[in-house]
Amino acid sequence: MRPGLIRACWLFLAAALLFPVGSARAEAGDVTLEAQLIWGTNDTKPDPRLKPADPKLAAKLKHSPFKWDHYFEMHHETLKLKLNEEKTVTMSRNCVISVTNLKGEQVKFQLFGKGKLANTVTQALPKGQLLVTGGDAENSTAWFVVLQQAD
Amino acid sequence: MSDEQQLKLQAFLDGELPEGDAREVAAWLARDADAAGLLGELKNTRNALKNFEPALKLPESREFYWSKIKREIERTAPVATPARSVSLFTLLRRILVPVGAVAALAIAGFITVHSFSGGQHPIAVNSLLADAGAFTYRDQAQGMTVVWLSYPAENKFAEKSSADTLPAK
Repeated sequence: MRPGLIRACWLFLAAALLFPVGSARAEAGDVTLEAQLIWGTNDTKPDPRLKPADPKLAAKLKHSPFKWDHYFEMHHETLKLKLNEEKTVTMSRNCVISVTNLKGEQVKFQLFGKGKLANTVTQALPKGQLLVTGGDAENSTAWFVVLQQAD
Repeated sequence: MSDEQQLKLQAFLDGELPEGDAREVAAWLARDADAAGLLGELKNTRNALKNFEPALKLPESREFYWSKIKREIERTAPVATPARSVSLFTLLRRILVPVGAVAALAIAGFITVHSFSGGQHPIAVNSLLADAGAFTYRDQAQGMTVVWLSYPAENKFAEKSSADTLPAK
């Protein structure tokens, strides 16, 4: 038998044996999430100090039923969570969120407005999925808290 | 006359019957004209065949003649070929080809199912809303769950002029 083929067989076997270990390690549970406070407006000349939202995120929001054309990132938090760990972060003066990393890419998201629990959402949040909590703001604008897995 | 009786007559003619049976047949022939007639026919046929049967003379002894036939049969009989030793590479190839085909089919099926389902599994959303005017909907195409609340605007939750929502200079 050719030596190259033998080497390839051994490499294949090693990869087959190591792959489940890698998968198990990924499933073991740590997750990095990004939470963003976004402001949506149709104002053609918004404050130049505002930081535009990530273009991919803005595109997703534009393609949704939302009526706003421009999206700006007001606050950004990165949450590194171990399995079953819960973290609470302040997104704005009146907005606090609490996120728990549950088994199987499930997250529990809670939003508090002025210290009062407004909503609790539990769902799977694999990469590419968004969990958006929003509401109307002054002058026909809107706010959003977007939670997603970090790239 | 039954077939068995006819066969018995033929055996009688050929001298193959035991003595007791032969006596019975002889008595039967004496009283049955049909049986005697059939026996006559059989005798005539045998005599006719005997006269026309060619006398075959073997050029060699009987044993040698049949030994030649036996050797010829053995020469022309297919020889069982011994099983060839198969290399490990050939064995691997024999295993890997069907396994590879099955794997390719499985991958093709997975891709087909995945593309038909848009690559996304339905995600179950469990939502508890404290706000009576709030609602939740799932945009499967965008991979987005939206919870829409009504109250924050009333308490200037995300007021754009608020200092806490603007980045620091």
